[in-house]
Amino acid sequence: MSFKTSLLQVKKLKTHFHTQDGVVKAVDGISFDIYEGQTIGVVGESGSGKSVSALSIMGLIPSPPGKVSAEGIIFEGQDLLGLNDNQMRGVRGGKIAMIFQDPMTSLNPVLKVGWQIAESLRIHLGMSSSKARRRAIELLKMVGIPLAEDRVDDFPHQFSGGMRQRVMIAIALSCGPRLLIADEATTALDVTIQAQIIDLVNRLQRETGTAVMWITHDLGIIAGLCDRVNVMYAGRLVESASVEDIFYRPAHGYTLGLLRSIPRLDEDQKTRLVPIEGTPPDLIGISALCPFLPRCQVAKEVCATQIPEVRRVAEGHNTTCLVDLRSYWRE
Amino acid sequence: MSNRLSYLIHRLAQIPFVLFVVTITIFGLIHVTPGDPIQIMLGMETSPDAVAKLRQQYHLDKSLPKQYFIWITNTLQGDLGESIRLNQPVTRMIADRFPISLKLAASALAFALLICIPTGIISAIRRNSSTDYFLSGIAIFGLSIPNFALALLLIFVFSIKLEWFPITGIGSMATKMEGSLWQTFGPYILPAIALGAQQTAILQRLLRSSMIDVLSQDYIRTARSKGVPGWAILAIHALKNALIPVVTMVAIQFGYLIGITITIEYIFAIPGMGLTLLNAVVNRDFPVIQGFTLAIAIFFIFANIIADILYTLLDPRIRY
Amino acid sequence: MVDSKSRMTSFGKLTTETIKFRERSTLVIAGREFTRNRAATAGLVAMTILVVLSLLAPVISPYVPITINLREKLKPPSWEHYLGTDYFGRDVFSRLLYGGRISLTVGLLVVTFAVLIGVPIGLTAGFFGGRVDNILMRLMDAFLSFPPLLLAVAIVGILGPDIQNVMLALGIVRVPVFARIVRGSTLSVREEVYIKAAKSIGVHPLRIAISHILRNIVSSIVVQITVNFAAAIIAEASLSFLGLGSQPPDPSWGRDLNEARRYIQDAPWLLFGPVVTIMIAVLSVNYIGDGLRDALDPRSWRTWQNKKSTGLQEQIS
Repeated sequence: MSFKTSLLQVKKLKTHFHTQDGVVKAVDGISFDIYEGQTIGVVGESGSGKSVSALSIMGLIPSPPGKVSAEGIIFEGQDLLGLNDNQMRGVRGGKIAMIFQDPMTSLNPVLKVGWQIAESLRIHLGMSSSKARRRAIELLKMVGIPLAEDRVDDFPHQFSGGMRQRVMIAIALSCGPRLLIADEATTALDVTIQAQIIDLVNRLQRETGTAVMWITHDLGIIAGLCDRVNVMYAGRLVESASVEDIFYRPAHGYTLGLLRSIPRLDEDQKTRLVPIEGTPPDLIGISALCPFLPRCQVAKEVCATQIPEVRRVAEGHNTTCLVDLRSYWRE
Repeated sequence: MSNRLSYLIHRLAQIPFVLFVVTITIFGLIHVTPGDPIQIMLGMETSPDAVAKLRQQYHLDKSLPKQYFIWITNTLQGDLGESIRLNQPVTRMIADRFPISLKLAASALAFALLICIPTGIISAIRRNSSTDYFLSGIAIFGLSIPNFALALLLIFVFSIKLEWFPITGIGSMATKMEGSLWQTFGPYILPAIALGAQQTAILQRLLRSSMIDVLSQDYIRTARSKGVPGWAILAIHALKNALIPVVTMVAIQFGYLIGITITIEYIFAIPGMGLTLLNAVVNRDFPVIQGFTLAIAIFFIFANIIADILYTLLDPRIRY
Repeated sequence: MVDSKSRMTSFGKLTTETIKFRERSTLVIAGREFTRNRAATAGLVAMTILVVLSLLAPVISPYVPITINLREKLKPPSWEHYLGTDYFGRDVFSRLLYGGRISLTVGLLVVTFAVLIGVPIGLTAGFFGGRVDNILMRLMDAFLSFPPLLLAVAIVGILGPDIQNVMLALGIVRVPVFARIVRGSTLSVREEVYIKAAKSIGVHPLRIAISHILRNIVSSIVVQITVNFAAAIIAEASLSFLGLGSQPPDPSWGRDLNEARRYIQDAPWLLFGPVVTIMIAVLSVNYIGDGLRDALDPRSWRTWQNKKSTGLQEQIS
């Protein structure tokens, strides 16, 4: 599938936190593109910088310790870094929306659910209170909350976890954003509820044509939903490819390690899982060499001396790995 | 029956026992003092006949439990006896003076809230900055100075040196509501500040820590990601949550303040419960001491219960 | 203390960090934490100075505080009288020194009384539970239902204005707080105690109870002691101010403030001495209390806060 219009272009995004103990390079120069209506997955461990990059795009990084810089974050032709506070607030929630991991704590407990949905509508679309309330009821129906007319005046604690996440989705999509960022949105839910939420987002995406960025560490979600995948490690983008390429033709040692460590249905039962040893590196004072080196199973001597750069493996498939992994490809 | 209702009933059911202990204590204190209460009340120069007559009138010739019983039954009927010195029914004295003390306590709390809400919010937003330390420093100052000492300092600075306020004058507060705004509210200001300073410090620290806690919550991050402007995040999303413990504390403090007005009323000559009680103590006017202590204690108990109820009302999570 | 182990893999150094704690008694660590807190140390120093000055009052006081000298009355501060004289010609500075003895003694005795009575009550209530617990706690609740100053005023009013009655009244008022804390800790430790007692046959459960419970409650009691000490000082000052405590001619900070009030227009210097000393005393006790609380709470120990990874990772991942 080819997508014609570019929605978001991230160019060399860096997010550094200046702390007492040093500079934490949470995101260290990542670049990627998202097209209209595309579903892109961002996979990595805790600390890989996947959430921080999303928050950086949204302008939600607290500015004393954190500093966001980039050659450009171009959204719908506009550089988000050049916007002032007011303009950025218009983008947040209006053009780019985000849903978070823990539905139990993500909604304000003392405000009615309908009010919280209507708030976005009032801020971004300038709706009157009564109109916004009616629209909120429609949105609740759209995300599958039964008895929406009654439920609109309920408080968050009167909803279950799955339903609260649906409310979050309603809030996020209320103003018709072009990009929805789902930051570990299903991690805290039961498996069956996960499936429901994923289906819901999928359906709404098809109906509205919104692009979705799924941030997760769950490769199953990636496999089932995404068109493209970005793999992040230690604040760097180590591989970016179509979902097929990632699974069948991984080009980075980390991606390979991830794939080896998960069970697959098409594998011989007797094959052992190979976990990735060690722990993620300290982001303070990290060297410019490949960050995955100490834990990599397929590293070569060149990795200890040469600084990795983005290299093209194939059309639409990039990596920073210095090693040729074609011998490990399946098929 | 919902949890909240049963909790309420449980709390209310504890009241009789508490009141029992309170009344026994007050009663006991007076009647185990060495010496004859009547003699003490009247002084040394009364004739034995007058003493005997008063003894009978105050039922002191009956057994102690019977006296207690009589006192309680009378109280429940609204009869708290008569002041020895002033020859007025104690209940009427309470009815006259309680509102004055209430107004004083209310103005002290109003002052406290006026100061603590903005400073608490600012301290929370700029935590650990020099502004925060400065405001916390002032708060500690307010906590560490006895209220009467503060009152004296305020009087010295504002009434004597700067001559902005009259030194006393709240006596007329109880009756007149005319006159200019300054005349009606002016005399309140210094006493309110003196009385409210400690509470301001407590409330400010409470609001600050509550706000810091609330502002680090996930739902604030959600609100930011929705593009909600900063002032709305503070004033609506955060404050509504952060004020819950503060409001509860205010209710508790209201009850507490009523018991503390005594020094301030003394300094500013405010004819409230505290000053009257003090005079009664000096004059050994036992009916007044008994009645007033009881009244204030009951108010305090109810203030605490209301604080409990408020807490369950305000936090929607504690509804079911 | 951080222990780094490095292992050479074929491709680079693989480092794992473990954190080891050297065995140090809690007391020593708490002591170190306390001294790191500048406000608390300052408070401790100030309080020590006050105590020393009070103890040495008979030695260093330039005048006898109750000597009346009407020719010298209402004189402003000078070299002969550091803080001036009051209406009766008494030296204010000397009165402050002696007044300190009274205020600090009252504070100490009140808190001792409250602890001596409150702790056993709490232990009994928590240990025996059931009806005993119920009755005792209802009793404590009833006493807590009085605004503190009110009860003290009532007690003193009835028993007579005398510094000893003041101490008694204030002590009684503070008992419930200690009883509650001790009861709470006793309750939570009691469950463990019976289990342990079953295992370690032969050791008297009472002994286990006391040593375990006491260890648990030390920090909360210590903090309450400082808080109540400060409150007692203020309460004594209030009562004396109202004429219900120290009787003339005894020097007392509160009492002196009453006189200062009367002559505030003519002799404002009478005001500042007692106010400043009360504030210093209360402030230092408050800071010491804060410092002790932080020093005894393992979560705020700065010795552990040198790890770079943890806190930040939570923030950014």
